[in-house]
Amino acid sequence: MTETPRKPKPRPAPESLPYWQAAKEHRLALPKCEDCSQFWFPPSRTCPHCLSTNVSFQNVSGRGKVFSFVTFHRVYRPAFAEDVPYVVALVELEEGPRVLTNILGVTHEDVRCEMPVEVVFDDYDEEVSIPKFRPVGA
Amino acid sequence: MNAFTQSPLIEPSRELRDTCAIVGTATSRLGKVPGTSSLDLMVEAIRNALDDAGLKASDVDGVLCRGPDDSYSHHQLVAERLGVNARFSTTLTNGGASQIMSVALAVMAIRFGMANTIVCGFARDTWSRTHANEEVRVRNETRPESMLAREFGPEYGYYGATAAHAFGATRHMHLYGTTRDHFGEIAVAFREHALRNPQAQMKKPLSIEDYHAGRLIVAPFGMFDCSLRSDAAGAVIVTSAARAKDLRQPPVLIKGFGTHNNTRGWFADDNMVVTAAKQAGEAAYRMAGLGPQDVDTAQIYDCFTYMVLTQLEDYGFCKKGEGGPFVASGALRLGGALPCNTSGGQLSESHCEGMLQIVEGVRQMRHTYPEHRQVKDAEIALISGHGGNQVCHSTLILGRA
Repeated sequence: MTETPRKPKPRPAPESLPYWQAAKEHRLALPKCEDCSQFWFPPSRTCPHCLSTNVSFQNVSGRGKVFSFVTFHRVYRPAFAEDVPYVVALVELEEGPRVLTNILGVTHEDVRCEMPVEVVFDDYDEEVSIPKFRPVGA
Repeated sequence: MNAFTQSPLIEPSRELRDTCAIVGTATSRLGKVPGTSSLDLMVEAIRNALDDAGLKASDVDGVLCRGPDDSYSHHQLVAERLGVNARFSTTLTNGGASQIMSVALAVMAIRFGMANTIVCGFARDTWSRTHANEEVRVRNETRPESMLAREFGPEYGYYGATAAHAFGATRHMHLYGTTRDHFGEIAVAFREHALRNPQAQMKKPLSIEDYHAGRLIVAPFGMFDCSLRSDAAGAVIVTSAARAKDLRQPPVLIKGFGTHNNTRGWFADDNMVVTAAKQAGEAAYRMAGLGPQDVDTAQIYDCFTYMVLTQLEDYGFCKKGEGGPFVASGALRLGGALPCNTSGGQLSESHCEGMLQIVEGVRQMRHTYPEHRQVKDAEIALISGHGGNQVCHSTLILGRA
């Protein structure tokens, strides 16, 4: 019997490590500029709004809405063979940035643009937890 | 706003309009060409283009060619096989926007004395790569490992250009009520054009029922929303309008070009529903002194059906959000209001990262097609290139001399 290969584990860039450390603690934290107060994603060490390097990771609400989404029917990697059809969504957080994620707790036919969602954490192993989202109140 | 940010936008110079012409164009064999390579195909297309122009390799002193993403200094390898020491030679790397940028760069280089006659081309061997053996069939990935995302994608099962573009399709459907019937009409129209083109990879008719029966890949895209995996190369030869007058073919003038890159990202702002075709097109129109109402045929970068629909809006052929009804009117068909991708496009002729769009634009401007393939009385062709991380765009406007 062949085992289904595991889903890929994120391989963080150095500037993303605080994001993944927070996720491990079940916090959603994004880079924020201490000078112009803006959040952004994906993480980088320079604020893309004002090029300040005065940057820290701050917790965000974990709430947002679906900006757009797609439903994978094709199996691109064997690890996802049992998941199809599954939704990959772009969630716009209350703080502004948009993050790529999966939507859990709802069938793919019922996902909609503008649907309110909130973060949940999917523990991959003892080291890594992956932020995902579910409809608010699900 | 300070004085610097208020300074007027510099535009592609109108002095470049009509200074150069495309004097030769050709493709390689297209579609499934086992036993060849992207370099072989590139040289095949260039030889054919030189024959078309009545020129020899020794007449070429510039090479602006590009190959698959994992080929290093592709232009040098091409020039070597052509036996050319090129005065001006490089590869641009801006995805599917590179090919029109190469033509634009050729015009600038010729105008400012860097070269006299430049070959621009693109080649890929994607069909062979993805069908060579079972392993690559399953993996279905032509990009080198170093180009693949390491985080914020693969852990969610997010892979490939189909999904990236499908995000835009979903958003457009949400905002404007666009439907899969609209996307289907694009696939069906281009297939109908491909059936008139003996070179086209796809030979079977496609109905709207066939379109809806096609298996879903990444919804809202099914298999017929997706462009082909092709072995394909195309080339054009650019020289000054003055030199062009003495050559074999009726010269096709380069009237305008523009580029724009929504480099803040496909997922940022409204970029997935208003593409950089808007700014690239406006720049090209201004350089050419033309507008959308002057365009007789459009050859649009059709990596996915939706990308045609949104670009038609961004180029001003209809209002934003009205692309669905516009295509449903039959406008894109040969004989319609704006015959589009008249050789079948990347959805049905072959996918050559926009290079075949340039080739087809040139051929339509020559008026040498048989009646069933010719856009009647066409004087102006607009061609688009799109690519990179879905954000890079280029526009070329051609006209009859």
